[in-house]
Amino acid sequence: MAAVTLKNARKSFGDAHIIKGIDLEIADGEFTVFVGPSGCGKSTLLRMIAGLEEFTSGSLQIGGAEMADVESADRGVAMVFQSYALYPHMTVRDNIGFGLKMTGHAKQDIETRTKAAADMLQLGPMMDRKPSQLSGGQRQRVAIGRAIVRNPKVFLFDEPLSNLDAALRVQMRIEIGKLHTDLKTTMIYVTHDQVEAMTMADKIVVLHGGIIEQVGSPLELYHRPNNLFVAGFIGSPMMNFIAARVAASKAKSVTLELPGGTKTTITLQGKIPAVGSKLTLGVRPEHVEPGSKATGRVKCVVRAAEYLGSETMFYATLADGSDIAVKAGGLASEKAGDTLHLHLPPQACHLFNEQGITIHNGDLTR
Amino acid sequence: MFPTPIARAKPWIRQVYKWLLPLALIVWLLPLIGIAVTSIRPSSDLASGNYFGWPSGFDFVKNYSAVFENSNIGWYILNSFKVTIPTVIGAVGLSCLTGFALAVYKFKSNLLVFFMFVAGNFVPFQILAIPVRDLTQSLGMYNTTMGLVMFHIAFQTGFCTLFMRNFIKGLPFALIESARVEGVNEWKIFWHIVMPLMRPAIAALSVLIFTFIWNDYFWATIMANSADVRPVTAGMSELKGQWKVAWELISAASIIAALPPVAMFFLMQKHFIAGLTLGATKG
Repeated sequence: MAAVTLKNARKSFGDAHIIKGIDLEIADGEFTVFVGPSGCGKSTLLRMIAGLEEFTSGSLQIGGAEMADVESADRGVAMVFQSYALYPHMTVRDNIGFGLKMTGHAKQDIETRTKAAADMLQLGPMMDRKPSQLSGGQRQRVAIGRAIVRNPKVFLFDEPLSNLDAALRVQMRIEIGKLHTDLKTTMIYVTHDQVEAMTMADKIVVLHGGIIEQVGSPLELYHRPNNLFVAGFIGSPMMNFIAARVAASKAKSVTLELPGGTKTTITLQGKIPAVGSKLTLGVRPEHVEPGSKATGRVKCVVRAAEYLGSETMFYATLADGSDIAVKAGGLASEKAGDTLHLHLPPQACHLFNEQGITIHNGDLTR
Repeated sequence: MFPTPIARAKPWIRQVYKWLLPLALIVWLLPLIGIAVTSIRPSSDLASGNYFGWPSGFDFVKNYSAVFENSNIGWYILNSFKVTIPTVIGAVGLSCLTGFALAVYKFKSNLLVFFMFVAGNFVPFQILAIPVRDLTQSLGMYNTTMGLVMFHIAFQTGFCTLFMRNFIKGLPFALIESARVEGVNEWKIFWHIVMPLMRPAIAALSVLIFTFIWNDYFWATIMANSADVRPVTAGMSELKGQWKVAWELISAASIIAALPPVAMFFLMQKHFIAGLTLGATKG
C-alpha cells in the first residue's frame, strides 16, 4: 500500500521529448487510469513508474521513498503487460510462482501464495496447463495472478484488455474492479479506451503530447472538461463543437450567433467574453434535443443515420458545413437527406475560447 | 490456389513435368551416384578405363572392408568427432551468450559489435589460411585437436551470433521485462526464460554447425598434418596409395565419412530445415 508521487517527471529519447514535465499525486489505494490517444506518453509514463524506462529528470516517490533511481525489482511494483508476457514453457502454476522462486522464497510460502492468488482468480482447474492451452481471458488472469502473488505496493496495468474481444473485455473490467475492491491496493491502469477509463477509475489522468491535460474523477471530466481536448476525448460519441460568435453580452450571460444565424443565450459565471469574439460551443450528442420547427431552431441535414433500437444516432451537417452528431430516441425515423431541427439546451452547453481553454462548463450536475 | 497443382495443369505441361523432373534429379545426383557406383567397382574396372559404364563386378564388401584394413579410418572418424562436438558446444554456447547480449541490452556500440560479428562472415577464409597457420604455430596449437576446435569456434561464432541474436530479438521482449519487474536477475532470466525458448534455435544451429565442421577439409589440412589429429575428411588421403590412386577405396571412404552428417540430417531434419529459415524470419 503506497501513494505514488511524480514531480516534474521528464523523459526524452534523444531529441524526442515524450514526457514533458508531469506532476501527479496518486493517493494510497486509488485506482488511477492514464488515458490518452496513442503516442501521448501514457505507456512510457507507466514504464517509468515500473522502472523499465529511466527518468531523464524529475522524481518519483512510492510510499514516500524516492524511487527514480531504484531498480525495478526493488520498487515494490507489479506490472501486467498488454501481451500478458506469460512464460510459454511454464505451466500456470510455475508462471505464477516463478518470480517468488527466483527471489529465493521458501517452497511452502510460494505454494500458499500461489494457491491464494489462484483461488482469487478462479485459476484452480488450469494450474497445470501451459499458456498456449488457455483462452485470452484466462491468460490475462494468469498475468494478474503473477502480479498478485508478489503483494506489490502498486499494481501497474499496461492496456491489459486491448487484446480481448468486446464481451470478455467487459467481464475482465468488472473482475479487475472487484480485485481492486478486495485488495485495496494502489493501481495504475493505462488505456486508450475512454470507456474503460470512465468505468474503472477513481481518478482519470488525461495525457496528451506528454503533458497532463486534466486530472479528475470520471464524471468531473465528463461534466467539467478543462479544455477542448478533454471535452473531445472523454465521452462517446464525442462532443460536438460548433463555431459561435458573441452577438451580445449582459452581466451574467452571452448571446451567441450559431451557424445559420440562430441565436442562443447562455448564462455564465466569471468573465464575460467581448462582443464579436469567436468561441467554440460544445454540446454532447446525448444532450442535443431534436424537436419540431417550433422548438428546434438549429437546422441541419442528416448525412447518415444509425438505428440501434434503443437509440438513433444522426450524423448531420450544419449550415456552415460543420458536422454534428445527435443521439435521438430509438423511435426517431428521419432518414439521410432529411432536415432536423435541433434544440441545444443552454444549461448543457460548454464554451471554449480561441485557445481551446474552457470559459464555461455546461455542468448538468449543478 | 497458387501455384496451380500440377495434377490440374494442361496435359502437355504434365508430360514435360513427368520427364523433366526425373531428368533434373538424375543430373543433380550424378556426382553422388558416380561416387556410390565407383565405391563398389572392382579396381580392374578403373584400370581398364571403365569409369562410367556398368561395373564388371560388385565388390561392395571387399572395397568397404579394405577401407578399414588399409587405413585408420576409424581413428579419423573419432578425430572428427573430437573436433566437431566441442566446436558445436563451444560455438553454440558462446553465441547464446553473445546473441542474448546483443539482442537484449542497449549499449552504445551494440550495432557496431553486431556488424563486426556479421562482417567476419564475409571475409573469404582462404586469405586467412597463412596467418592462421602462423598463429597456431606460434601459439603451439599446430597439430592439436585443441587448435582445430579453437579456430573452428572462432570462425563459426560470428554466424552463430547472427543467428541467435535475430532469434532472441524475435522473442517477445515483454517476457524479459516482466521477469525484471519480478526481481529476477539477468543470469536467471537468461537461464530460465530465454534458454528454454531458444531450444529450437539451439537444435537447428547445432545440426548446421555439426555438418559444417564435419565436412570441413580446408582447415583440417592447413592446421594439422599428423595422423593423430586429422579428421576423416583429410585423413582419407592416406588411401591414395604410393603408386596409384585407389579411387574405389577413396569413394568408399567418402561414403563412410558422409554418413554421420547424413544421419544427423535425417534424424534432425525438422530442426535443420527450420534452422535454414529461422534467422531470416520471426521464429
